[in-house]
Amino acid sequence: MKDLEDQILVRRALEADPESFGELCRRYYHSLVAVADSILLDHHLAEDAAQESLAAACRQLAKLKKQERFGPWIDAICRNIAKDILRELQRQRKPVEAYHERECDYQDDDQKAILAEALQQLPQHLREVVFLRFYNEMSYRQMSNVLGETEQAIDGRIRRAKKKIAVYLKKKGLGR
Amino acid sequence: MKHENDNKWLDPLLERHIHREPEEFDFEKWAQKHPEEARMLRRGFEDSGRSTKTKPSEIWRFIMESKITRYSAAAVVVLAITMVLFGPFGTPGNSGVVLADVQQKIADTETMIIRGTKTFTRIGEDDDVIEINGLRCEFDLVKYSSKQLGLVEEGSVDGKLIYRITFNRPKRQAILVLPPWKKYGAMAATDEQMRLMENLSPEGIINMLLAGDHKKLGRDKIDGIEVEGFEFQQPDLFVELFPKPIFDIQTLEGRAWIGIEEQLPIWVEGDFIFGKSLLTLFNEVRLHEVNVVDKYDVELDDKIFDTDIPEGYTEFGLSDILPFIPAEAKAGAAAMGIIPAGIIFWRRRRKKKL
Repeated sequence: MKDLEDQILVRRALEADPESFGELCRRYYHSLVAVADSILLDHHLAEDAAQESLAAACRQLAKLKKQERFGPWIDAICRNIAKDILRELQRQRKPVEAYHERECDYQDDDQKAILAEALQQLPQHLREVVFLRFYNEMSYRQMSNVLGETEQAIDGRIRRAKKKIAVYLKKKGLGR
Repeated sequence: MKHENDNKWLDPLLERHIHREPEEFDFEKWAQKHPEEARMLRRGFEDSGRSTKTKPSEIWRFIMESKITRYSAAAVVVLAITMVLFGPFGTPGNSGVVLADVQQKIADTETMIIRGTKTFTRIGEDDDVIEINGLRCEFDLVKYSSKQLGLVEEGSVDGKLIYRITFNRPKRQAILVLPPWKKYGAMAATDEQMRLMENLSPEGIINMLLAGDHKKLGRDKIDGIEVEGFEFQQPDLFVELFPKPIFDIQTLEGRAWIGIEEQLPIWVEGDFIFGKSLLTLFNEVRLHEVNVVDKYDVELDDKIFDTDIPEGYTEFGLSDILPFIPAEAKAGAAAMGIIPAGIIFWRRRRKKKL
């Protein structure tokens, strides 16, 4: 089942084969956590968002027209769910920084704190590729499946993101 | 290139900062946390997709548009309750009763006659049997079940027949008759309802319940027959089948006693809790039902399953139940679009004139 294309797994899932959907979940779960983490900057919340994204995808699976684009589709669902969570947190006046600090205990580590700031100042679409790349050593090909972009486009984004991070770190006296 | 230089020192930094040892995704755990979605995956998306996305009030309006469908829905509900009590069969165990054998025997059984009771009480007051227009809702039951012909349930009080519901499988028809009021509701089953009915046969129910949990209650004797008891819970069995405004099954707990030698259910009892809905006349209701299997594989006359409308009977309608619905529930139901407000006000005006 691991070698089956997304399209086949989606079709089977729609024909009441739960294990096919399970395989899709296993295939995309880590990337969803990475995407959600890049928005929420909190690993536990990111896991919750990823799980909820899978549930939302399950409920809407019959509506997916281009079954071969399951990856980008669920990625978009996850992004939206994570943003909803973020908005809710902001509404409750709980800044993400607070979660970030509690999660990583950066107070005693200036370098990590500055790196966290560098990541936060990135635009979301750049932060997302950085998280995907470094969260679980995802290959460009895997990232391409999730984002629905070419490997070249992804490479370009990573370069731009790194450049911005490097500039920020240098400003703060870090980096070379 | 400058970019390459950046990479050299940035990559390990970012990796240390972002990298996590990912936990493997546990699909079983996820399915437990998301039972609705897991059910959709098990049963396919045709039925459940619609039920998760459509508002109950919209479903109700849709049903109200068709008189036939309206009665069919009611019939299916009643038959579902009738039949669900014959589904306490889990996975095979090591006891004297091998449930797989029971499942097979039930599948092989052609007919059954069941006797028992059906008692509706107010929630929290077990002794307070509900009365509607002087009718105490404590029925003596007789059920006739035939794999080929269908199912009949008769409910009597003090020997007087109050209702008979007949589902005729070959004709794909059902009829509910209420002799004291000379009322009937005739129903033609749609393809979807027929499929549902297939699932709600004793065999279909068993298959559905194979996925559910059960608890062994040990051995006992009923009328000299050695039996083994099982307890089961299936609160979500019908959740997605019926819109809550029509029928809100909140919990179902059942106990079945299966003859060790016979490998067939001898005594089955169940407790349902229904929320406020049309079919409970907007009351919160507990139903305790006891079914005792009287006979297996007896010859049943085709006429028992007749769905012809008895002479002199008129069709049962929404206005027939209005007098029995509590006033506050009527207002709420009208607000939800369950009952057209016009009917309620028309009835009130008519009462005043009287």
